[in-house]
Amino acid sequence: MLRNPGWHRLIVWYFFLGGIAGGAYLTAAIADNFGGPRDRGVIRIGYVLALLMVMVCGILLILDLGVPTRFLNMLLHFKFWDPMSIGAWMLGVFGAFAFVSSALSLWGGDARAGLRRRIGLVGAIAGLFLAAYTGVLLSNSALLLWSEARLMGALFLASGASTGMAAISLLLFLSGEGAGEGFKKVKRADRFAMIFELAMLALFLVLLGAAAAPLTTGRMAPLFWGGLVVLGLLIPLVLDLVGGTVKAMGAVAAALVLVGGFILRYVIVMTHA
Amino acid sequence: MARTLAMFTDTSLCIGCRACQVACKQWNELPMEQPEWTGSYQNHAHFTDKTYRLVRFIEKPQPNGDLAWLLMSDVCKHCAQAGCLDACPTGAIYRTEFGTVNINQDVCNGCRYCVSSCPFGVVAFNQDTGRANKCTFCNDRIHNGLGPACAKTCPTESIQFGFRDDLVKKATARVAKLKEMGFKGAQLYGADQNGFLGGLNAFFLLLDKPSTYNLPEKPLLPQRNVFADSLLSVGSALLVGVGAIMAFRERGGTGDGDA
Repeated sequence: MLRNPGWHRLIVWYFFLGGIAGGAYLTAAIADNFGGPRDRGVIRIGYVLALLMVMVCGILLILDLGVPTRFLNMLLHFKFWDPMSIGAWMLGVFGAFAFVSSALSLWGGDARAGLRRRIGLVGAIAGLFLAAYTGVLLSNSALLLWSEARLMGALFLASGASTGMAAISLLLFLSGEGAGEGFKKVKRADRFAMIFELAMLALFLVLLGAAAAPLTTGRMAPLFWGGLVVLGLLIPLVLDLVGGTVKAMGAVAAALVLVGGFILRYVIVMTHA
Repeated sequence: MARTLAMFTDTSLCIGCRACQVACKQWNELPMEQPEWTGSYQNHAHFTDKTYRLVRFIEKPQPNGDLAWLLMSDVCKHCAQAGCLDACPTGAIYRTEFGTVNINQDVCNGCRYCVSSCPFGVVAFNQDTGRANKCTFCNDRIHNGLGPACAKTCPTESIQFGFRDDLVKKATARVAKLKEMGFKGAQLYGADQNGFLGGLNAFFLLLDKPSTYNLPEKPLLPQRNVFADSLLSVGSALLVGVGAIMAFRERGGTGDGDA
């Protein structure tokens, strides 16, 4: 007889926004280091979005605690093998990176571009950690489905990268930069991330086998198949491939990817709620 | 570390009087709860944040159609390899010098990772205090030379308290005796230090297979896959990163096309 921890919507939102934060920062750091001058919009939006999201993440986690004023207790203790402990630490570390990178991208100027790029590369590791560790945290509990899902962290990371890229492209579109080179590149990166996530999800299900039933045939099944697989992955991919030159289609696809990313966390966390 | 203390619950001696359950409530000042219908005398269905000892009433169909009672006073197992302790990010859950596992209420901040990390579903979240609760092995009593309230009060010595090595010896002899008497299903659960979870410091003698008592046959440490899962995530990160680099890179060619 196992017991669910009673993690609810706050945690679903945290997992979702943490993925966006990590994915957006990764995208900005890669655009910064490997892209060109036309990717400036991606870099700024990515770093600042990561900062805003990580701030919301911190608030969500604190609100979820039974005794919110004791959130500091997490930081009085360090266990490198414990996803919850190291995750709390890394949220702070990544927040610091997102803050410095945002400041440098907004006010640092070209003189400090080299520093910003190097910081971005290290910060991206922290961002990827934030996107993935939540999956590892769930898969190292005693509960059914969670504890049997070996690829949960890998899947959350792929989804985090994809949603981070989708969020950046959506913001680029909304700020009128949909015609720019940066938009095109982010969409291209997201297309790869989506295909990778789809493959990862298939592998995730195959490895789970019969243990995947709560997702694939249980009460979460309509959301899982309809919301995540079709609406959140297949339709955006099709829109991206056929909609090629139509920017609005790209923006719709990005919005759907975000919906799918939320549903992924929702169906997995709420199976036990 | 002092010699490891343990509780040995011999279910073959349990008469279902629930004195242990009451003693636990009284000593630990655990408040009243709404009873719940479970279909038998058992109440509650499972441990709660206010019920640390729970007598399970299990009806087992016999070949002749009758039902037989299997009674078991269940409690936190105080595992040698404790999932809750490994999960706790604040250090609130700790191992005492006697080998028992306890939650420091002044440190716990209610993250509830321990709740999801107990292979037996023992740890429960207390909505009123916002902290996790479970059996303390009567931490205050054992530090003053007394046994846990449940063991002290048990009228049939179904719950015995003492040094672990002594109790394991007793338990082993008891199983042999029961088998001799014809109880073919008699077996120890969690007595073996080389068995699952490094052995349980609250171990049991059962009259049937563990699943009959709603116990996992072979509970595993939840944290056993942290390293593998993390490595798989790193692999995923590398692939995603390479994909993004290909999409953004501008060197080597005059622009796009090389993605």
